[in-house]
Amino acid sequence: MHPAFSVIFFTVSSGAGFGLFALLYLADLLKLGGGLTPQQVWVGGAIALVLIIAGLLSSVGHLANPKNAWRAFSRWRTSWLSREGVFAVAFFPFAFGYVGLSFLDLGLEGLRLALGGLATLLAWITVFSTSMIYACLKTIRQWNTPLVPANYLALGHYTGALILMLVAAQGEVELAPYYFLVLAFLVAAAFLKGLYYFWIGSPVAVSTINTATGFTRAQVKLFDAGHTHGTFLTQEFGFQLARRWALALRVVVFLAGFVIPFLWLVQVGPQAGGGAGVALVALLGVLAERWLFFAEARHVVNLYHGAQRC
Amino acid sequence: MRLGLVIDLDVCVGCHACAIACKQWNASGTTGPLSDYDPYGAEPSGVWFNRIRHFEVGEYPNNKTINFPMSCMHCEDAACVTVCPTGASYKRAEDGIVLVDQDKCMGCNYCSWACPYGARELDRASGTMKKCTLCVDRIYDESIPIEERQPACVLTCPAHARMFGDFDDPDSAVSRAVRERGGYQLLPELGYNPTNHYLPPRKAPPIPTENLGKPGFRERLKTFANKLVRR
Amino acid sequence: MSAVIKTENHDRQEVKYTTCYMCACRCGIKVTLEDGKVRFIQGNRNHPTNQGVLCAKGNAGIMKQYSPAKLKKPLMRKPGAPRGAGEFVEIEWEQALDLLTDRLELIRSTDPSKLAFFTGRDQMQALTGLWAQQFGTPNWAAHGGFCSVNMAAAGLYTIGFSFWEFGAPDWDYAKYFILWGVAEDHSSNPIKIGLEKLKRHGGKFVSVNPVRTGYSAIADEWVPIRPGMDGLLALSIVHVLLSRELFDWEFLVRYTNAPWLVVQTPGQKGDGLFLRDEAGNPLVWDLEKQAFVSALDADIAPAMFGEFVAPDGRPVKTVMSLVAERYLDERYAPENVSRECGVPAEQIERLALEMAHVAFKEQIELDIEWTDVWGRRHDKVIGRPVAMYAMRGISAHSNGFHACRAIHLIQILLGALDGPGNFRARAPYPKPIPPHQLPENNLDIIHAPNTPLARPPLGFPTRPEDLVIDAEGHPVRIDKAYSWESPLASHGLMHMVITNATNHDPYAIDTLILFMANMAWNSTMNTKGIQEMLVQEDPEEFGQYKIPFLVVVDAFHSEMVNFADLVLPDTTYLERHDCISLLDRPISEPDAAADAIRHPVVTPDRDVRPWQEVLVELASRLKFPAFTNKDGTRKFKDYKDFIVNFERSPGVGFLAGWRGKDGTKSLKGEPNPHQWEKYIENQSFFAHHWPDSQKYNRFANKEYLEVAADAGFVGKVEPIIMQIYSEPLQKFRLAGMGLYDGPQPTNPADRERLGKYFDPLPLWYQPLEQQRVDAEEYPFYAITQRPMFMYHSWDSQNAWLRQIMAQNYLHMNAKKAAELGLKDYDWVWVESHNGRIRCQIKTMEGCEENTVWTWNAIGKQAGTWGLEPDASEARKGFLLNHLISELLPEKPGERRITNSDPVTGQAAWFDLRVRIYKAEPDEVGSWPQFPEVKPLPWDDGRRPAVLRYNARSDK
Ligand SMILES: Nc1nc2c(c(=O)[nH]1)N[C@H]1C(S)=C(S)[C@@H](COP(=O)(O)OP(=O)(O)OC[C@H]3O[C@@H](n4cnc5c(=O)[nH]c(N)nc54)[C@H](O)[C@@H]3O)O[C@H]1N2
Ligand SMILES: Nc1nc2c(c(=O)[nH]1)N[C@H]1C(S)=C(S)[C@@H](COP(=O)(O)OP(=O)(O)OC[C@H]3O[C@@H](n4cnc5c(=O)[nH]c(N)nc54)[C@H](O)[C@@H]3O)O[C@H]1N2
Ligand code: SF4
Ligand code: SF4
Ligand code: SF4
Ligand code: SF4
Ligand code: SF4
Ligand SMILES: [Mo]
Repeated sequence: MHPAFSVIFFTVSSGAGFGLFALLYLADLLKLGGGLTPQQVWVGGAIALVLIIAGLLSSVGHLANPKNAWRAFSRWRTSWLSREGVFAVAFFPFAFGYVGLSFLDLGLEGLRLALGGLATLLAWITVFSTSMIYACLKTIRQWNTPLVPANYLALGHYTGALILMLVAAQGEVELAPYYFLVLAFLVAAAFLKGLYYFWIGSPVAVSTINTATGFTRAQVKLFDAGHTHGTFLTQEFGFQLARRWALALRVVVFLAGFVIPFLWLVQVGPQAGGGAGVALVALLGVLAERWLFFAEARHVVNLYHGAQRC
Repeated sequence: MRLGLVIDLDVCVGCHACAIACKQWNASGTTGPLSDYDPYGAEPSGVWFNRIRHFEVGEYPNNKTINFPMSCMHCEDAACVTVCPTGASYKRAEDGIVLVDQDKCMGCNYCSWACPYGARELDRASGTMKKCTLCVDRIYDESIPIEERQPACVLTCPAHARMFGDFDDPDSAVSRAVRERGGYQLLPELGYNPTNHYLPPRKAPPIPTENLGKPGFRERLKTFANKLVRR
Repeated sequence: MSAVIKTENHDRQEVKYTTCYMCACRCGIKVTLEDGKVRFIQGNRNHPTNQGVLCAKGNAGIMKQYSPAKLKKPLMRKPGAPRGAGEFVEIEWEQALDLLTDRLELIRSTDPSKLAFFTGRDQMQALTGLWAQQFGTPNWAAHGGFCSVNMAAAGLYTIGFSFWEFGAPDWDYAKYFILWGVAEDHSSNPIKIGLEKLKRHGGKFVSVNPVRTGYSAIADEWVPIRPGMDGLLALSIVHVLLSRELFDWEFLVRYTNAPWLVVQTPGQKGDGLFLRDEAGNPLVWDLEKQAFVSALDADIAPAMFGEFVAPDGRPVKTVMSLVAERYLDERYAPENVSRECGVPAEQIERLALEMAHVAFKEQIELDIEWTDVWGRRHDKVIGRPVAMYAMRGISAHSNGFHACRAIHLIQILLGALDGPGNFRARAPYPKPIPPHQLPENNLDIIHAPNTPLARPPLGFPTRPEDLVIDAEGHPVRIDKAYSWESPLASHGLMHMVITNATNHDPYAIDTLILFMANMAWNSTMNTKGIQEMLVQEDPEEFGQYKIPFLVVVDAFHSEMVNFADLVLPDTTYLERHDCISLLDRPISEPDAAADAIRHPVVTPDRDVRPWQEVLVELASRLKFPAFTNKDGTRKFKDYKDFIVNFERSPGVGFLAGWRGKDGTKSLKGEPNPHQWEKYIENQSFFAHHWPDSQKYNRFANKEYLEVAADAGFVGKVEPIIMQIYSEPLQKFRLAGMGLYDGPQPTNPADRERLGKYFDPLPLWYQPLEQQRVDAEEYPFYAITQRPMFMYHSWDSQNAWLRQIMAQNYLHMNAKKAAELGLKDYDWVWVESHNGRIRCQIKTMEGCEENTVWTWNAIGKQAGTWGLEPDASEARKGFLLNHLISELLPEKPGERRITNSDPVTGQAAWFDLRVRIYKAEPDEVGSWPQFPEVKPLPWDDGRRPAVLRYNARSDK
């Protein structure tokens, strides 16, 4: 699949935002490390909202005909994309309520937490919906797996946790729980990503050039695709990454996304928390991860453009 | 009704007539125009609803070339429709035709991701998704002579490799062809249940070559008596 | 879910019927227009050619009509600018016509031969030929010489009709069909319609072709032959048939010269000619009468085999005896040809037996009564349902004439011609063998100023006396057609015109008019060399080119236009009147004689004129007798008027339908002033459907021949006896051997060629270029194929078609490529004895191992065809033509000889041999690259980034 920057940014940014929001809320609710200050809560919340909104705007920018974007809420019964939109939008009033109340400090604690709780639920559903946009596609074997929502959720929370740790570091709160939260999500995300890479590497291609053409008893090769230059299909789906680049990038994903942050965090210890540096390196890793997520996905339509299996 | 096409791979010569007829009809059709980018430049490309690919099966000299036209299969389980967030993509209840409402589409490309057959192409100029309409604007146009109320690609196919009809009707030409010729669907494992079917190449029955003439005419000729044949 | 679909508003639409000319197949089209803009072009269901279907090109007519390459106004080379620099000034039509008239007037009144007029892919040779004849120049021909004259000549000298437009397979009844060397053919749609019909009926389809694409893709059996070997394969099939006595005795005795007697006096004059009586009739030995009798008599029982002694004591043999002697030889045994052809012996044998099985064991009998030309009634028509078709895979070799004759020999042995299920003739064929039309060769007439030729420039020589040579035996035509080098060049040698004219060999010409021919590019051999010749200056005449004046009549900005001194812009096929005449290459089908017209359905938006009109105008200005009244006034107002009123012979004109004053006569009748209207009313075509009794065996079908004679298709009602043994060839051979009473060549090369290649029986020999090129040095055969969706150079300007293919590759067998360490998309150098090119390769399975091939005419010169200069066609696409020489490799002591079939002068495109090696890593892009052609005066060079064609006004 063509790794469109708008979509990569969207999923990474909103994923981090939703992850941050959910963890922020839980930390707030459970008074993690002694409890965040209201200021930390609303600053953290604001960062989450900015990330989410930036992501969503970027995804709208991906549309060729954005004037009809409003219609995207209409098909939530069948479409994960629509659901994502609906839930994302539904998330906002609650999220704003929660962040707003934290900011205004009106003492409506029950309401504040209730709103935050609902928003968190919606955040999770939204991230899940986003991931299901990809995971529901039978056309792309590399996506059509529960590992995709698992990955999205884990990575969203991991990046969210990193930011949350930055927020936490700005106050009096005890950093260690936040630190261990990061480490926990780091390990989970790394594990799930590893699993994912292992899984997509397994040679269980169901769709082949043979099933695509119906000629299942002999070698089939594409002779001519019927057009000399690119088409929408080759541009959108034809992206092909050489194996060695894919491997190199996976190394980057693991190094930047997990290994370096892990060593760094271990090195600095729970009290220092690592600062923005770790978050930036990890972000780089996750961007690479997301880029690869698209780049390594082989749509079955490639079988009609010369691929032997997808 | 379940309308769709049958493509006969036994006779498709890969001439691309159906692809151009489609382009021509639909350029000024319901979802037209179909943009062409860089039409006279270095790398021309454009929006098409029907593309012809050419495959080779087997190895030389036992190879066979297969010409392979593909357009929307008007699937029964059309994920392209269910994934569409705007409702622009829809499948008509009355005849199963899958269409994109150009007034509703937001150009998110998502339906094209859900389509295994490469049947959907975004028109960058209009920002909307386009696809084979099964020539819905021909087949129901009552001012067109009845025998011409067929998809443009079917009408034009010089090898009569394309058939249009109702798959719900067991007696229709398409249903019969699929039954009698072992018509099949592409990528069945994905479960889209495409309406369009492909007919595999026929196997020509062997022609007997025994008991033909007496060998050794060369020797016989030396002592040959002519046959008496009158003009 | 459902939604109301808005169908279109037809109120402002209009439907017109005319004839497609996106290629020479000439299908009937139904054009829907909206406010004068083309909404839709579809096939005309009633049309005999395409029966409603349309090919890719036909469907893309809109994009030709709106092409940016269209010429807009007459152009003159800018004074002072060198030819080929692409510097033009726009001029008015009047100016252009005055200028041309003056020049032509001078030529015509001094030495008419100094005008050469050659035409390419047009289908109006009846008019252009008449025009040239009236002008008085022998230097006229169409593209046939570089196209497929081998097929035409082999057929017309053998069976009376031919592959290549003068016949078609009977798809309704054929059960076995062999396609030899065809990728697309002129019968584009009919072949596709037919193949499906054949397969639907359960018939078997065999394709003999080094490459498996297109039609061959759907063949039940593919025979990947090596190029140039078909003659050998065909004669091996003949061997198998003969050796098992699998031939149709009745057919051979009745309709062929198999029993005719041939004089056997080797080394003497008259050897190899038919034994004839005093009246000149060929003789046979009658088994009942035990006497020599005229082979043309009705009640005879000729001996098919045997040796006899003629009354004058000369030994004679039947043709069939000679046939048996030659082809039963072990030379032609499948196991002995298998290695050369690349076809396994078992396969050759099986193919022969399969044909025989279908011909003799699955024969068809139709209850149709007919009368043979000897007056006997038959209550049945017998069909031996084996059909064949062959084209350029056979013809584009220097042994193609004989290869084609070898294929006809198979058909003849099987008795499988013009019967149900066979390859059948299309009116006005069959004609006498060869047709009774000789090329003008009277030098007094040819050199007479202001005098039309008494005979057409082209025809069918039957003996050396018919050659068009001067007293010294030198060619009289600029293309050297009908000279000792190319004696049976019935379509001329267009591919030699520029070379010969530049070399002033045989003489210098003044003006060359090229119509619809891209001779500076894809339709010439040795493209680079030819471009250099076109701009070669004459050292003897200061400031003059070797070809002093070049007129190009084109509709588009082709490579050729760039070299013109005068450009006359033509209309498109949707904008003009045209006629596809029975006097020419009509659209007849085996079951119907048919012709057609075009009429304008779109109004030109530019200052262009149909060449037809211009020809009539020039003819009138130059006062050609056929275009001028007795009182010197002009006879025809315009082209339409000419078509309606011109009569070739009384009652026979260009259009056969709705003749007679009231339009009630068909084929023959007085001119009808409303003939055009009648055609338009009837969807622009006319078809005369043959009644069942006239459909078959027309070479000997009395009723048919009577109608044909009346319509002027044949001279008189007489049997057309198929010529297995060709006496005209033998006469030329005798001349070569110095045994002929009449003109004989003096040059040893000519004598050798006549002696070798004018064999009266079909023959296989190694293609000429290959005889002179080291096969180890150049290990690959290199050929081209036509893509079904592109017509020569015409369609790269077409925004839809070029998306399908904007670049061609050199295709080769995958295993072979791997052996050479080559893989897909590698840039390679390809070298022949004539030069080298660089191109990209793509491997495939369906390619004979020693063959490489590419799609024809995709490569373009940068700046032409309305394309931006960086178009893939120009930068990555390529022409094989650079590698093909119009001359055979030099041989010491020999003059340069044309790279053509030695019998017919057919260009030998496919004799090419090449070697291939990988280019250096930094060597990318196609090579050679030519200077970028400048935009024409009206063109700012800007092209749209996006094209959004829509003809509807309600959207
Ligand atoms: N679409 C389209 N149609 C056309 C044209 C066009 O440009 N485009 N051009 C028109 C013209 S001018 C012509 S002359 C006709 C020609 O029509 P075709 O005769 O079909 O011409 P080619 O495409 O040259 O096809 C030659 C075929 O012969 C094969 N071949 C080459 N060498 C040999 C050989 O030695 N033996 C055998 N058995 N096969 C061989 C090639 O692989 C190729 O398939 O088509 C006409 N129709
Ligand atoms: N390598 C290789 N070369 C080949 C062949 C091959 O098989 N291989 N095939 C050969 C054969 S068989 C042929 S017939 C030739 C074809 O050669 P040509 O007959 O020369 O055909 P084109 O070059 O396509 O077209 C000639 C010109 O016709 C112009 N034209 C198109 N429409 C019109 C019109 O309506 N009016 C006028 N006035 N001009 C028009 C085009 O612009 C173009 O410049 O190519 C030959 N060249
Ligand atoms: S028009 Fe017919 S024969 Fe040609 S590519 Fe399409 S389906 Fe095949
Ligand atoms: S072929 Fe593709 S676009 Fe057409 S219905 Fe099936 S999934 Fe949808
Ligand atoms: S591109 Fe248009 S039709 Fe396709 S999913 Fe998006 S909104 Fe629906
Ligand atoms: S049915 Fe109509 S829209 Fe669909 S491929 Fe055929 S011509 Fe195109
Ligand atoms: S074969 Fe195609 S291009 Fe040629 S005349 Fe027919 S429709 Fe036109
Ligand atoms: Mo040709």
